[in-house]
Amino acid sequence: MDDLEKRADPDALLREINELKSGGIGKLKIYLGYAAGVGKTYAMLDDAQQQSRSGVDVLVGYIEPHTRPETMELLKGLPLLAPKTLVYKNIELKEFDLDEALRRKPALILVDELAHSNAPGVRNQKRYQDIEELLHAGIDVYTTVNVQHMESLNDMVADITKVQVKETVPDDIFEHAEQIKLIDIEPDELLRRLEQGKIYQPERARTAMQNFFTKENLRLLREIALRKAADRISHANQSERRLSDKMANVKLLVCIGPSPSSARCIRWTARASESFRAPWTAIYVEGTDSDSMTPDQQNTVRANMDLAARLGAEIVTLLGDDIPAVVAEYAKLSGITNIVIGKSRNRKSLHNWLKPNLEDALIERLPNIEIHIVSGGEPLPHHNAMSKRLSLAFRLTWRDSLITFGMLLVSTLVSFWLQKLNVGDQNIIMVYILSVSIVSRLTTGYIYGVFASILSVLTFNFFFTEPYFTFNAIQPSYPITFAIMLLVALMMSALTVRIKAQARLAVAREHRTNTLYEINKKLLATRGLPNIIKLTNEYIVNLFNRSVTFYASDPEQGESGFFLQNPSEPDSSYLIQPNEQAVAHWVFVNGKRAGAGTDTLMGAGGFYMPVLSQQRVLAVIGISCLTSKLDHNARLFLRMIASLVAMSLERQRLSDEQRNILIDTEKEKMRSNLLRAISHDLRTPLSGIWGASSAILENESQLDTATRKQLLENVRDDSQWLIRMVENLLSVTRIQEGTMRVIKSPETAEEVVADAVSRIRKRFGSSKITVQVPDEILIVPMDSTLIAQVMINLLENALKHSPESEPVEIRLFKKDAWAVFEVIDHGPGIAKKDLPHIFEGFFAVDRTDGDSSRGMGIGLSICLSIVKAHGGKMEAENQPAGGAVFRFFLPLEGDENT
Amino acid sequence: MNLKPMVLVVEDDETIANFISAILIANHYSICRTRQGKTVAELIASHSPDVILLDLGLPDMDGMDVLKSIRTWCKTPVIVVTARNQEREKVDAFELEADDYIVKPFGTSELLARIKTAIRHNMRLVQPDAMRAGKMAIGELEIDESRRVVTLSGEKVHLTPIEYRIIVLLAQNIGKVLTHDYIVKEVWGPYANEKQTLRVNMANIRRKIEQNPGEPKYIVTEMGVGYRMVEDAERQ
Repeated sequence: MDDLEKRADPDALLREINELKSGGIGKLKIYLGYAAGVGKTYAMLDDAQQQSRSGVDVLVGYIEPHTRPETMELLKGLPLLAPKTLVYKNIELKEFDLDEALRRKPALILVDELAHSNAPGVRNQKRYQDIEELLHAGIDVYTTVNVQHMESLNDMVADITKVQVKETVPDDIFEHAEQIKLIDIEPDELLRRLEQGKIYQPERARTAMQNFFTKENLRLLREIALRKAADRISHANQSERRLSDKMANVKLLVCIGPSPSSARCIRWTARASESFRAPWTAIYVEGTDSDSMTPDQQNTVRANMDLAARLGAEIVTLLGDDIPAVVAEYAKLSGITNIVIGKSRNRKSLHNWLKPNLEDALIERLPNIEIHIVSGGEPLPHHNAMSKRLSLAFRLTWRDSLITFGMLLVSTLVSFWLQKLNVGDQNIIMVYILSVSIVSRLTTGYIYGVFASILSVLTFNFFFTEPYFTFNAIQPSYPITFAIMLLVALMMSALTVRIKAQARLAVAREHRTNTLYEINKKLLATRGLPNIIKLTNEYIVNLFNRSVTFYASDPEQGESGFFLQNPSEPDSSYLIQPNEQAVAHWVFVNGKRAGAGTDTLMGAGGFYMPVLSQQRVLAVIGISCLTSKLDHNARLFLRMIASLVAMSLERQRLSDEQRNILIDTEKEKMRSNLLRAISHDLRTPLSGIWGASSAILENESQLDTATRKQLLENVRDDSQWLIRMVENLLSVTRIQEGTMRVIKSPETAEEVVADAVSRIRKRFGSSKITVQVPDEILIVPMDSTLIAQVMINLLENALKHSPESEPVEIRLFKKDAWAVFEVIDHGPGIAKKDLPHIFEGFFAVDRTDGDSSRGMGIGLSICLSIVKAHGGKMEAENQPAGGAVFRFFLPLEGDENT
Repeated sequence: MNLKPMVLVVEDDETIANFISAILIANHYSICRTRQGKTVAELIASHSPDVILLDLGLPDMDGMDVLKSIRTWCKTPVIVVTARNQEREKVDAFELEADDYIVKPFGTSELLARIKTAIRHNMRLVQPDAMRAGKMAIGELEIDESRRVVTLSGEKVHLTPIEYRIIVLLAQNIGKVLTHDYIVKEVWGPYANEKQTLRVNMANIRRKIEQNPGEPKYIVTEMGVGYRMVEDAERQ
């Protein structure tokens, strides 16, 4: 046996297994150091050389230009990828050429500086995104990075070195790296290298030594790096079991706010959660006065939320004004064990005196939860927020002025009336207080309430105190009255403002929930991919007031997307231009958002997000952002809608699959039925032939001439019948399996008829057949062999059922856009019970007729298939005068394939 | 001299070869049989048959190749035996100068008719006859070439020049199948592509000379291949 030679190559097998395990994703090896100059690039290149020598296809993607000649030495012999040159603000910049690297698709690529930010004009904002794309495409990557670029360590490093590192890399890149190789040297050694000018140019080296490269800094940084590496080893060694018994019930919560100290809290919590091995949540409480936040503050909040998400938190947004209460409620419900809050040194202001401490409030509410306070940075500049709040408070409208004056008038009149009734002063005051409350309740902002209270006091003074109709007689109690009225006014106004804002927010939220519910309901009832897409597009246009494009498959494969223009926007058909489609294609391949407002391809006109289901991209939705970018809320909403759409698409796909399976099963059943019927029909004439011929051979002497002749005639007839059966079956093969269409060419209809008639005459020599053709020449696109077959089958049928004396008529004529072929016989006609099923074939026809009916059904059902494959129709009916007519129509226009 | 016409039967299936032989011998032909294409050439050379019956589905060589090689040096009429659905095959065979075709399965009468026609044509080519004299009579149809007049049962038939040429061409090759392409080339010239026009012309001719265009008695359509003018003997 030569099986041994055919045995699979073990190396290939191993490669296959590894590929399967990693899911076809490339492996990342990070060379980690604690400062520039420790030798990361050197180590990387060294390893790469080794790989190259053992036959791996290595490509150098991008190496930072070094002054160290030993490092550059190691580049010799490795293929180099030319960098892409970009011109930015008249400076020529060289960047890593990602597209070329993807096109070349080496087995291993080297890309220096993981934390690098790309120049504008490059597809991704950050190099680590480039590397993610490379990994996704199945390419292994070696890269270098310093420990201070890790997102979660960023502020710790800043504290130590007093240098803020702006280029950070999200922690999960490190988490998912296959290997992290720590490059470590003694700080003294590093300093020596620096002095020797091996790391930076001499002038730079001196500055570096003074600021960053102090011994203390280096030592601390080295410790951080070593600890990080050690952590990773201990994770790798730990089994899952340890996760459960060590601090399993720790759950962290951090509060996000608009202050910069939030970022510190978030990073601290990320680190804490890692050491506790516990999950953590980041909560943001959206107050009803969130409108009063400046855009800067709103951006900070969003940035903080993104940061928390990147570091692995679950993000929760809640609505409420009483922050401690909301947070406490959530913490209780979710089983939070530790809360982290930030505290910046706020200048003491009236505002803060009135508000209780967040931590005190929390401690009071949650006695069993640990509170961690992280000290924040610079205090928050208040006046911006204050001014915005003030501007809101002082809005003037006609309606509110009217209400104010109206109320005052009414209360004055009522007071006069009360005076008449001799009701005491104190009640009049009450009336004014009441009117002030009503004004505050009905008007927007604080000003009207304040105004009303001032006016009330003055009016009261004027009309109702002695001396009447003067502003004199200020009693010592009036300031108190005034103060009380003012307080009432302010409180009512504040309450009203808050209630209104809350109501507005609640309505917005409810609207969103209702919309989602509505979308879900409609999607459940929608069938068919085009309908789902249409529905989704309509909703998105209505909800976001922007044009939308829906790609159900990768535009690279020819799909042009379903575009819906928002009527109230200018023409957004730029969304279906090729360069926009390229963005959609990128999203398809990488499964991440891209476009306007994201880190990738941010110059695009639209925002593109993938519709994901089980890590697979089912579709891409593009929204036009030319006029304005989508805000955070809108994106959140969009994401919710996308998940509904994903379910719907998935359901549609499954139902399509199911239908295909059903069709295939049907086809299989039909095929086996056909085979069964055929074999039955074949057996009978074959037994006849065999029987007759053996009878002649074995009984040669005993048989007389007449009997012998009879038997031989039977043999001939039976064989002829078999030939016709085979011809019929062969015709079916001319109908193309997939499309169930035939290849047509124009033929003269009367010639086909004549051909069929002459062939029939050869078998049924004595029969009477009359042919009637029209005067005009009918040229019909058809497969002549097949139509001739149909005519022959029909004629045979007619002749079998007609007595010899009666002729069979053939009529050919044109009717509207059809060519009509009729075969008319004068026999007994078709039995009523058979008429509805007559074309259905062998399994429908009543087989009580026994063997003599002989496959009449097959012939007719084949006729129907042939006519249908021509795009025509067929019918049969009984004539009133007796006999049957079979009629079929062929279209005069059609696919002409000559 | 051998009085019986000789038929060379090239057929690999024994049953079919047997019954062909039986028919031919019973009808006063002499036969020569082979199952292989490569022996055909020498058999033609040694026996000089009057007609060759060539099956296209031979085991050792493609029937078309046999035909091609014979035709380089031999003008003996060849009737190819084809299967029913192979129109392309029939047309190709005519391109290679086969004289006629017969479709499997065929009956006795068809076979004999074809063979007779083939021999008659051969003899006509060898001995020029009344055709050259300019007058032809086929059933009720009379064609006077010198005066360019066609009459049916004595009455003049009005034909267009193209129609006239078609009828004359078919008459000159009476009993033989002429392919669409051949007719087009002969009537319109070698660079024409007038298949559709030919069809229309044929239909018009039928309406002029046939009693029932739906049941033509003079010019018969060979489906997918071409047209044939029917000889007297075959007409009902």
